[in-house]
Amino acid sequence: MFFIEGTFEDVLIKIRDYVHQGVELVSHPLGASIRILFSPYRSVILGEKNNKINAYHIEIIESSIISYRNINAGRKIDYKNAHDYALIDVELLKVSLKSFKEINNNHINLFGGDSFETGA
Amino acid sequence: MKLELRRIYIKDLQFGEKTSVNNGVLTVNKEELIAYLKEDKKVKDVKLDIARPGEKVRIIPVKDVIEPRVKIEGSGNGFPGVSSKMAQLGEGKVNVLFGAAIVTVGDIVGFQEGVIDMWGEGAKWTPFSKTYNLVVDITPVDGLDPHEHETTVRLVGLKAAEFVGEAGRNVEPDEIMTYEMGSIHEETAKYPNLPKVAYVEMLISQGLLHDGYIYGVNSQLILPTLIHPNEELDGAVISGNCVAACDKITTYQHQNNAVILELYAQHGKEINFLGVILTPELTTLEGKFRTCDYTAKLCKMIGADGAIVSEEGYGNPDSDLLMICKRLEKSGIKTVLITDECSGRDGMSQPLADTTPEAVAVVSTGNVSHVVKLPPADKVIGNAEAIATLAGGWDGSLGDDGSLSCELNAVIGSTSEIGYHNCTVKLY
Repeated sequence: MFFIEGTFEDVLIKIRDYVHQGVELVSHPLGASIRILFSPYRSVILGEKNNKINAYHIEIIESSIISYRNINAGRKIDYKNAHDYALIDVELLKVSLKSFKEINNNHINLFGGDSFETGA
Repeated sequence: MKLELRRIYIKDLQFGEKTSVNNGVLTVNKEELIAYLKEDKKVKDVKLDIARPGEKVRIIPVKDVIEPRVKIEGSGNGFPGVSSKMAQLGEGKVNVLFGAAIVTVGDIVGFQEGVIDMWGEGAKWTPFSKTYNLVVDITPVDGLDPHEHETTVRLVGLKAAEFVGEAGRNVEPDEIMTYEMGSIHEETAKYPNLPKVAYVEMLISQGLLHDGYIYGVNSQLILPTLIHPNEELDGAVISGNCVAACDKITTYQHQNNAVILELYAQHGKEINFLGVILTPELTTLEGKFRTCDYTAKLCKMIGADGAIVSEEGYGNPDSDLLMICKRLEKSGIKTVLITDECSGRDGMSQPLADTTPEAVAVVSTGNVSHVVKLPPADKVIGNAEAIATLAGGWDGSLGDDGSLSCELNAVIGSTSEIGYHNCTVKLY
């Protein structure tokens, strides 16, 4: 597990760097609603590092960054509700991890290890 | 399957001695309803209030909206698998308190917004400013985890709708809507020359505050599934989603799904409506590939010539929407997408988080980033502090006169991606 000291956008940019190095994108970088884009936290699951770069994953992470910037232009990150965003972030992450493991029967290793703990 | 939705027009809502409908006036016994809802041991307190169209009232933060109904013939009163015993839905007679709504409020997390203004500028944007709203404000007992809290609030709303709906049991309806459709084979024999159209309804299926339920089954757990349109109109699909205020599909909107109603209206005239495919929007890419492949396969299996696909939410579901579109178009199935746009305050930015050349027919249901100015309310039902969340989005969003500027994103049902709302599309 990697912890990025920074904003949602910093997390997306770090993911972009990894994806351009051949790391697979396992979960989608964005949430399912605009409100989640105001969150100070975002967890995304990355898979194995391959020798080949996945063009579709690059397209997804690049568009995610464009969307994030577009939606947050002029807006403030909602730090007031940081604790609740952390809670939802970890709940959504648990669902993604469960879904991922069910599909892959634990055959694929996650980038950065597959265990995580949270204080949320 | 044949379903009658028998509309009893509701023209006013009040508290009184007996929960009943007389001459279109819905009366609710407040104490009885509160006592009934508090039978749930997880409920600490329930407050009831009324909001009528035109009143200077703001409801915030809204969790769900539900239409009160009672089934007077056929199996499955209420919401089988969730708040009542399991039963097959889609057939029979339902008395609908048409024009009334149960609106649930209650903070589960602090960043919920979901505003309904009953008057003025705000009222223009939400369809629930025109309904007589019984607002149910739920405080659960202390110590519940967030999942239990969400479930409690969800169930209380549904039970309140069942309780109030019961008032319509013996009331003669003002209008009867009949929805009848046989098997695909029978309908195709009746209308051999009409194009066969399937409706793919996507549901956010991602975890706490981001879920939908079909007969009580969390849609996270399903493969895309075929459902008769009558089942959805009869209460088979409910909302457990509380963060995408503008484009989440409330339970009320499932009960009155505008795409289903319009496809029914065209059935036998312009098209042969095949049925509804409910498709979960998952978080993992592998999960998305599986559901999108499966959705396209179902459309092919039932012989669709065309498909209407509606999205729920914004962000990662955009990828599902376009993957489904790509697969359908490549299979020769003409596809129309219904989605809202997130195209910036000026409406000029790229509207979706993903794109594909196959998306050649797209209906927009509005720009979620459009800014509206809401004047101060005389009365706030729910949590006035939630207004601070609404108003604190950017510098200058709170005016000196107490008005606040917010994006449509925060207004319940304002950019409904199933078209149950007030925006329309203008062609240039």
